[in-house]
Amino acid sequence: MHCHRHILDRSPRWIVLLVGIWIACCTELQAQAVIQGRVTLPKARPSVVVNQRYEIVVQGGVLAVHPPVAVVYLEGKFPASPSQPLARMEQKGLLFHPAILPVRAGTRVEFPNLDNTYHNIFSYSAPKRFDLGRYRPDDRPIPSQVFDVPGLVTLRCDIHEHMRALILVLDTPYFVVTDTDGRFRLEGLPAGRYLLKAWVDSRTTREHGVELTADNVTTIDFP
Amino acid sequence: MKPRRGALLLVLAATTAAPAAEEFFDSISQALSFQSASGSHAARLSGTLDLEGYAFSQPAPGLIQSQRERLFNPRFSVFLDAQAGRRLYAFSQVRFDRGFDPSDKDLRVRIDEYALRVQLRGEGRLGIQVGQFATVVGRWTLRHTSWENPFITAPLAYENLTAIWDSAAARSTETILKWTHLSGSSTPAQENADRHLRLPVIWGPSYATGAAVFGRFDSFEIAAEIKNASLSSRPDAWNFDRDAWHHPTFSARLGFRPSMAWNVGLSASTGSYLLHSASRTLAPGTGLKDYRQTVVLFDASYAWRHFQAWAELVHGRFEIPRVGLADTTSAFMEIKYKLTPRWAAAVRLNRQTFGDLRNNQNANVPWGRDLWRADFAPTVRFSPNLQAKLQYSIQKEEGRPHAQHIGAAQITVRF
Repeated sequence: MHCHRHILDRSPRWIVLLVGIWIACCTELQAQAVIQGRVTLPKARPSVVVNQRYEIVVQGGVLAVHPPVAVVYLEGKFPASPSQPLARMEQKGLLFHPAILPVRAGTRVEFPNLDNTYHNIFSYSAPKRFDLGRYRPDDRPIPSQVFDVPGLVTLRCDIHEHMRALILVLDTPYFVVTDTDGRFRLEGLPAGRYLLKAWVDSRTTREHGVELTADNVTTIDFP
Repeated sequence: MKPRRGALLLVLAATTAAPAAEEFFDSISQALSFQSASGSHAARLSGTLDLEGYAFSQPAPGLIQSQRERLFNPRFSVFLDAQAGRRLYAFSQVRFDRGFDPSDKDLRVRIDEYALRVQLRGEGRLGIQVGQFATVVGRWTLRHTSWENPFITAPLAYENLTAIWDSAAARSTETILKWTHLSGSSTPAQENADRHLRLPVIWGPSYATGAAVFGRFDSFEIAAEIKNASLSSRPDAWNFDRDAWHHPTFSARLGFRPSMAWNVGLSASTGSYLLHSASRTLAPGTGLKDYRQTVVLFDASYAWRHFQAWAELVHGRFEIPRVGLADTTSAFMEIKYKLTPRWAAAVRLNRQTFGDLRNNQNANVPWGRDLWRADFAPTVRFSPNLQAKLQYSIQKEEGRPHAQHIGAAQITVRF
């Protein structure tokens, strides 16, 4: 004990501070829970064929493929985020990336155009109705919108009718997108009783009550 | 199910609560999409239902064929788009309506378009297309469908009827003047009587049959086509089996895109405008090839954010052996602005003038009525699948005492 105090006494103050933060973080992590599992996903949708009837000089064919995934999130009362979160929904290769983007309510989502052509993103969905107009890849600032009402927002492009994506606005900071096999792992969860939900599509949201305890990994499958 | 009831159900589905309607149409879209096991081949059926109404005074304006002053014109269009890998693309359009242009005839089914496109080099650098498809001339064809067009009618150059017939050759300037009804003594009924025989400079999107080659080189786009009918030819002449290839029409467009916002292009087209059945009416010593239509068209467009503008200047010339060169120039400028995510407004100004022909008193006389037309059209999109448009147009022709007022409304359901 004496030796330990001696080392601390001789160390610069910032090392002491870092060690303190590290210990605090470890303690915090150890107190957090993990949920993992698998969501049974629907069958993949057929590829979307791009309408090129009248724009005869076009950039080759595009078969837009969006394998199904689900969004798993923890529903409950959580403190507000201290800063406004930022997320990105890109347009690349005449497709949206990612095809589904879960965000916490209040998130600003940027829509960078990474194609060598105009895009015109719009939504008629009730939680967020907007139309960004036509914009180039080099337009700055990157067009963005704040999504502050929970719900499902369908994005489309007014120029490329095959383009479609979803933004799932959630009232929780704890969410994750499954992989294409439906597997997920949700980490850093606070202990307590919650409802775990799996959003599969606009008509299908499965749910499961969970009681999370610190340092525990819970496995939940959504058949 | 009767067509009228089916149309009503489709409109009702589109007007129900927006999220439910979107899901309904998404499910239709999924049900009408197909793909191979590997995912490299895919096809999709889509379509539009248009319910249009027109109110106008006689003679009917543009390509409308009706003796009445009110016209209801429903149209059901089905599109097939198919892709095989990245190089092969095919499409088709089938319509169920009262005719290619608004009319009060009976409903019927028609194949308007079909084409196969092969990308020979990637990224649109070189490709070919064969079939029956819209002309490469100009840029109006890109927005001629009801969902894309900010208006219900076409610009003047694409629908205003001239005094040129395709079923008979004019033997004298007097014949042309008679077909123009310039004397002022013609009644609307007399003017209507030969409307179905007359031609515009460009007949709508001109879905004639043929082949096209196209490519993109840096900021330049080039497209050239050989078709079985001229730009002014009527829809009946577009089919593969009509008049075939004795006197094909050659057309091309060179486009330049200095930036994404701007697109300018120069198009030219030349070909025989008479139908084969007009052979017996030709001037002695002439053939169908001597009755040529030549079109030169300059187009420019600009788009940024919620603003879009298009303009075209079209010069058309009809060669009439023993009569002369019947020239006409038409121009339009079209502006569209999205006021809100749902509301858009569009304004189009059109002008068309006609040159002179020499009559039998050796005097120069115009062979058509100069005119201008202003079109105003608000559009509201209730959902990604339902749109409503109104249009008011005022048209003034020289020599007519009163301006003509045209009203139109259109509801489009897209699936």
